[in-house]
Amino acid sequence: MAKILLVEDNEMNRDMLSRRLERRGYEVALAVDGKDGIEKAQSGNFDLVLMDMSLPEIDGWEATRQLRAQPATEKLPIIALTAHAMAGDREKALEAGCDDYDTKPIEFKRLLSKIEALLNADA
Amino acid sequence: MTTLPSLSELRHELRTPVNHIIGYAEMLLEDVEDQPEPREALEATLDAARNVLSLINDTLTPTRESITAEELDDLVRSLGAPQARIITTTTALLNSDTVKADETFTSDVTRILNAAKRLTNLPEPAPHDQRPSAGFPELSKRQIERPSMEGRVLVVDDIEENRDVLRRRLEREGCTVETAPGGSDALDQLASDGFDLVLLDVLMPDMSGYDVLDRMKADPHLSHIPVIMISALDDLASIVRCIELGAADYLPKPFDPVLLRARVGACLEQKRLRDAEKDYLKEVNRVVAAAATVEASAYTPGALSDVSARDDELGRLARVFDHMATQIQAREERLRQQVRDLQGEIAAARESEPREETGGGSALVTGQRFADRYEIIATIGEGGMGMVYRARDEELGEEVAIKTLRPELVSDPILVERFKSETRLARKITHRNVVRTHDFGEWGKVYFLTMEYVEGITVRELIDQRGHLSPSATLAIARQLVDSLAVAHEVGVIHRDIKPQNLLLDEDGVLKVMDFGVARLAERTSDLTEAGLILGTPSYMPPEQLLGDEVDSRCDLYAAGVVLYECMTGRLPFEAQSAVSLIAKVLNEEPSPPGDIQDDIPPAFSALIMKLLSKSADQRVQTAPELAERLAGLG
Repeated sequence: MAKILLVEDNEMNRDMLSRRLERRGYEVALAVDGKDGIEKAQSGNFDLVLMDMSLPEIDGWEATRQLRAQPATEKLPIIALTAHAMAGDREKALEAGCDDYDTKPIEFKRLLSKIEALLNADA
Repeated sequence: MTTLPSLSELRHELRTPVNHIIGYAEMLLEDVEDQPEPREALEATLDAARNVLSLINDTLTPTRESITAEELDDLVRSLGAPQARIITTTTALLNSDTVKADETFTSDVTRILNAAKRLTNLPEPAPHDQRPSAGFPELSKRQIERPSMEGRVLVVDDIEENRDVLRRRLEREGCTVETAPGGSDALDQLASDGFDLVLLDVLMPDMSGYDVLDRMKADPHLSHIPVIMISALDDLASIVRCIELGAADYLPKPFDPVLLRARVGACLEQKRLRDAEKDYLKEVNRVVAAAATVEASAYTPGALSDVSARDDELGRLARVFDHMATQIQAREERLRQQVRDLQGEIAAARESEPREETGGGSALVTGQRFADRYEIIATIGEGGMGMVYRARDEELGEEVAIKTLRPELVSDPILVERFKSETRLARKITHRNVVRTHDFGEWGKVYFLTMEYVEGITVRELIDQRGHLSPSATLAIARQLVDSLAVAHEVGVIHRDIKPQNLLLDEDGVLKVMDFGVARLAERTSDLTEAGLILGTPSYMPPEQLLGDEVDSRCDLYAAGVVLYECMTGRLPFEAQSAVSLIAKVLNEEPSPPGDIQDDIPPAFSALIMKLLSKSADQRVQTAPELAERLAGLG
């Protein structure tokens, strides 16, 4: 089953999203900030990253750029999650190297379809 | 200092708990698909949370960069209802027996409940009036300040629920609200006056909002009240029609609380400004009206005291105006008093010895026709230059004074020409204090002057009758004398022979100066050692005139000084048995100040007269207007 790394600083979001993904059969690993996310993404064998954009230490944009700069993770699918439906966020996320983008509150079915689309493309 | 959160912070603070509620509720719904009770509760929770989310998204749109404190208040207030629904629903769910057994489910619902409680738990806003703009650098102070919603509002709507919603909402904002269920009821209520704003529904059964608006704008008592139209119709045509009919603004149903507040607030603010402007103009008009009362001498000092109490420019103007008007009035009253005193002196003089018209020594007799147009009525008296008669001008049908000139005065044709030109100049003087000169003529070898006839008494007679006059009555004479000198000097005429005999007073106390220009004739012909005693009047002449030097208008001011001296003391500054002795005194001696002779003469008045009597013309008051000013300064 696919392994997903969820990089999210908010405990409730981590809890809720991870539980919902696990119910769908995914294996979910958690990272609590950008730095933690980069380390785990590089050390683990993940199929996809769900990256919250507003993170402490290193934010989601920067973490994505760093992952893209590493050969091991340059092709790892990353879906950006942002709490703020700000104008330009989508472009900004794609520019930073994200493969897709979704906004909070998560519309779970939509997110699932995006995850599946990326995983299938990868496969 | 507490500050408002930044806009991105605000979005985050508001949306994070909503995200949690939605996320957990969706997740739990998957678990309870077959359990109606928790499912309905979770669906209701989800529904309320989505409502919250759309309220947040509508206010904090992605492109938005700033928000005012009142908009934030409104947003938070609007979240209250769905928040309450979530709390009530989840609390009930936690208490239901069906879920109590499931620990994870209970824990997740508790998370929803806690998230709902955090929903409006924003960083504590500062008190309204201290809210700083930190975090909102783009907000001006004006945006932060919440306009006062105080005002009396009439809500006109045929649907009770609408009236009720608007009334409650507006009352919460601080408005005083009355409601009317229809147009005619609204017009009845408006007749009682005192409304600041009308919220008017367009579609009503008894009378449409258009008709109510139309009637309001046609009524001068109601046309100033702003009207906001409310209607479910949000099409352009109805908005245009309302604006054309004079509506101030337009609110579509359902009411957006932020829009409602903003528009009502703006209308009330505009009304307040207009009312303040109207009040201001009313007070300006009061000052203008007060100016008219000053002109009519009817100003009551302190009449503008309430306008004066304002702390703005208008208040200052009113204070200065009141001060000036009060001063002018006091001065006018003093002048009136002086004239009354003079009238009193005149009346007393007449009473003690009625003036008699002399008949002896006349060359012309009563009833005689003279110069083909005058009928002699009486002989008034004998002056230095000849006889004076009262006569009737048959051509003009009015009384005149005729002054005949003694033959020796008119023997030199050059002098006669000069006299004629001087008289022509004098005729130009038109002033209430100058006896008007009409004509210079010759009839049967008799040269004569005709002039305005004034029924009155000379200052000479007045002094002789009264002994001396009060300073107040003297001031009344002085002002009029100086006024006449000012206009004469202005046109280049010097009197040269100002003396009490030449100053006539009518019974109202109006002074008339006679013989402007006439003295010119005597000047060259008088021999001071002989004829001078008869022709000239050395007691009133300054040194330069006595010495035969060139004189200017300042000689009239010296003479005025002597007249005023004599009025108040009953004496001349210099008295002598002979002309030579008199001239010696005028040239060499200092007169006693009038204040030393009469105790009631104000020192300043006494000093002013002494200055007029200066031997050097340069030491005197230099011009008649300057003397007028000095006299005004005396009171």
